[in-house]
Amino acid sequence: MESSLELTTSLPGTSLPPLRSRIFKIIVIGDSGVGKTCLTYRFCAGKFPDKTEATIGVDFREKVIEIDGEKIKVQLWDTAGQERFRKSMVQHYYRNVHAVVFVYDVTNAASFRSLPAWIEECRQHSLGQEVPRILVGNKCDLRDAVQVSTDTAQKFADSHSMPLFETSAKNPNDNDHVEAIFMTVAHKLKSQKPLVLSQPPPGMEGTMPMRKSEEEEERNAWACSC
Amino acid sequence: MYLKKSKSVGASSPLNGIGKQDWDARRKRKVGEITQALSVTPVDVAALRRMAISEGGLLTDEIRCRVWPKLLNVNTDNLPEKPAEDIRENHKDYHQVLLDVRRSLRRFPPGMPDEQREGLQEELIDIILYVLDRNPQLHYYQGYHDIVVTFLLVLGERLATVLVEKLSTHHLRDFMDPTMDNTKHILNYLMPIIERVNPEVHDFMQQAEVGTIFALSWLITWFGHVLSDFRHVVRLYDFFLACHPLMPIYFAAVIVLHREEEVLDCECDMASVHHLLSQIPQDLPYETLISRAGDLFVQFPPSELAREAAQQHSQQTAASTFKDFELASAQQRPDSVLRRRRKDQAMAAQAQAQSQSQAMVAVRPRAKRLVRLAVMGLTVALGAAALAVVNTALEWAPKLDLQLFP
Repeated sequence: MESSLELTTSLPGTSLPPLRSRIFKIIVIGDSGVGKTCLTYRFCAGKFPDKTEATIGVDFREKVIEIDGEKIKVQLWDTAGQERFRKSMVQHYYRNVHAVVFVYDVTNAASFRSLPAWIEECRQHSLGQEVPRILVGNKCDLRDAVQVSTDTAQKFADSHSMPLFETSAKNPNDNDHVEAIFMTVAHKLKSQKPLVLSQPPPGMEGTMPMRKSEEEEERNAWACSC
Repeated sequence: MYLKKSKSVGASSPLNGIGKQDWDARRKRKVGEITQALSVTPVDVAALRRMAISEGGLLTDEIRCRVWPKLLNVNTDNLPEKPAEDIRENHKDYHQVLLDVRRSLRRFPPGMPDEQREGLQEELIDIILYVLDRNPQLHYYQGYHDIVVTFLLVLGERLATVLVEKLSTHHLRDFMDPTMDNTKHILNYLMPIIERVNPEVHDFMQQAEVGTIFALSWLITWFGHVLSDFRHVVRLYDFFLACHPLMPIYFAAVIVLHREEEVLDCECDMASVHHLLSQIPQDLPYETLISRAGDLFVQFPPSELAREAAQQHSQQTAASTFKDFELASAQQRPDSVLRRRRKDQAMAAQAQAQSQSQAMVAVRPRAKRLVRLAVMGLTVALGAAALAVVNTALEWAPKLDLQLFP
């Protein structure tokens, strides 16, 4: 199964030539309390949220970015961490996902140990290997409380061919900027080229490969950590 | 008079300052009626339910402290002692509860001193763990704390503890199963309600494949998670406590329907529609919506929603609606009620397969709507009575008939 990036057309019902802007749909998963909401908020709103609460079900945030002159909508689907929400509730949101962001809390070893279960969840939702995945260790501003070393995390990331980013949604100055992390994903997605119209007219179902990707070329660069 | 009042709410809610004097007078009268209902022996629970549903709800937290226990049929004479400390460390959900309560800052009144808030948060943890510990069949879910905090802030710790326990084993029971399958099942009633009232909105949402998760937090927190004004939250709790356990899903449908224009103007894709709907407006006309939700409950009772194939009896009124209440009161598990009803209905539907049933009218004639509204007052109160399990339907009905339209 090929991953598909979507094109949306402009407002339905207008006769103007469609304003196509691509949509990258990214799902953010990980244990409860690791900071998924803060990360997505930080990226979309540009600041650390005042107060975040437990996410119930799925929250949605969006940001329009520009890469090489192309405007792209990045949609972040921020999911509840508690396990009971996953089984019957969240699967709807795995559909047509273009990338996955796994989040753990560097000050919480249990959240790191849960990662295999999250990877397994993705597998169960039939996300193909070609769907980019990244690993984010959050809260690394809390230096004194770190329980998961960069080494350990890096090994894990390598073994799953994911890049690792350590950051702090709260204070990202010394680390990977949250913005840069999501931009990296967006660049990666942009370089993957099989495209599909998001709402093909009747009878035009199916993918329309527009350009063969340089995916092989890039895979090496992708697999190493930044 | 009841009808007239309901009708006027849509145009100008007295709560918004128009006709303030009039509202003050009615408010005073309502306080009097509530006091009267509380003072008789046995307490007039049916009247209290009507007060909780009707315009303005129970008005003050002071009144809520006295009436909510009656609505839940809770005896407040022997309140439990404060739970022992060791519940905390030993409970499997302790960490999740702690995590959720510690970050639930927004549920507390702005301006409350940190120290006081922190004390309440500790009490909140205690209540939740106390109830979970005593009822091992109940499972904590994120959002449960949003409900409990409302009871804590209105009632204080000891009273909140007993009421929350009762609520958890009844209204919230389905949400607290080991899995959320039953919760999902209840959410599945959202779209059929919307379809009956506005097929266009329904079709649009189906086409967008928006799903129903946008309403999940509404349902399982009784809107406590999404409404920032505490007064609105408690007003809704008055309503829900007085009604059938499935009323929150009707209220969710009413909110979507209230925003029909926005929905139809939205881009027809999952993300846009989910985003729009999950951002709940904070200035909803609550009294109007409450009245509409009750109206829809009567027009499309759960049993009818379950019966998708054929609506053989268009005359769904108090009697058959009452069946739902009766079942619900017997089991207090809305989901199992729905399932059982659906099974019954499926069989009935098969038998009547040939009877033509294009009858589902999207827009009912005005006059009929008003009649329905009148019935609503009756049936909602009836259902409430059934929940209280005090008397049989026949004994309640005549009494209500007299009292409903003062």
